[in-house]
Amino acid sequence: MASFNARITMPAEAKAGEIVEVRVLVRHPMDRGGQVDAEGRVVPRKILNRLTVTYAGEPVFRYDMHTGVSANPFVSFTTRAVETGELTFEWREDGGATFTRTARLVVT
Amino acid sequence: MSAAGRALAAALLALASPAFADEIKPGSAFLSPEMQRQQEDQGRNPGYLWVEQGEELFSRRESVSPTCISCHADPGQSLRGAAARYPQVDRASGKLINLEGRIEQCRVERQKQPAFGYESQDLLGLTAYVASLSKSVPLSVSADGAAKPFYEAGKAFYERRQGQLNLACTQCHDDLVGQKLRGDTISHGVGTGYPAYRLEWNGVGSLHRRLRACSLGVRATQFDYGSDDYLALELYLAVRAKGLALEAPGLRR
Repeated sequence: MASFNARITMPAEAKAGEIVEVRVLVRHPMDRGGQVDAEGRVVPRKILNRLTVTYAGEPVFRYDMHTGVSANPFVSFTTRAVETGELTFEWREDGGATFTRTARLVVT
Repeated sequence: MSAAGRALAAALLALASPAFADEIKPGSAFLSPEMQRQQEDQGRNPGYLWVEQGEELFSRRESVSPTCISCHADPGQSLRGAAARYPQVDRASGKLINLEGRIEQCRVERQKQPAFGYESQDLLGLTAYVASLSKSVPLSVSADGAAKPFYEAGKAFYERRQGQLNLACTQCHDDLVGQKLRGDTISHGVGTGYPAYRLEWNGVGSLHRRLRACSLGVRATQFDYGSDDYLALELYLAVRAKGLALEAPGLRR
């Protein structure tokens, strides 16, 4: 299976107080499970169940995903530019694995 | 675009379609305006996840072999337009090969690595990446010289009735374009968007995977990935779509 891969689209710079749109596309099969494999075992669910985003240390966005969410999910949200800092994106996968990506927002 | 603007665009499109019935249109022309925008938006078109994977493979440093990038330096320039010339006849072997075939050939003969295998995620990624370098380049595939017999074979395939439903490609993709087949609109059947991200697949797939779906649809023999039959058909489709801009990675339903 292909590796996890995220495309984060947002402006690199914003004015203080400006609303910025952050768009996130990730590669994940979002396997809802329940199928029976060749050995007769039930395949467990394996989806990304949560995306949390922190900006300058503060949580700004959280998205709980369920089995109805498509493979390679796309989500967009807005936040207010307050200070220059890192946006940290963390996805939590069933089974406890986490994937982290960061993006920098420069506030002028 | 405002709702009124969208309605106007849709009305214009509806007016325009009968007038240009004979003009071959790309697959994206049959999508909703929203999906057309999604295809063009690199932040939203999931096909670019595969393009990214391919770009990584392309520039990866492997100790054992020349990397792709060591021969094809500055691929944005050196490989721009390359995908628009496939399928083509390979001079050395005299066989018809498509972009997937050329990448595999490079991998096996020059890099001395085991082939990725048709429809593997790695090969799809690389093909999507190389094809994306030719985005908006008009297709210019040759049907002359050594390619002539392959073109004739592809044309014959396209026009031959096959399968339990006894349908030829041309009966839908020339005669019934714009009409509905189940929930989808029948297109001209050109492959300019492939490898494409199909919503039905939840992933990127090659043109041959799409052709296999068509064969299954008319309950005909599904040929293998990279088979001579599909290669010849791919050549015919590419010549038929001459001048159309490449749009891989496309977004399809």
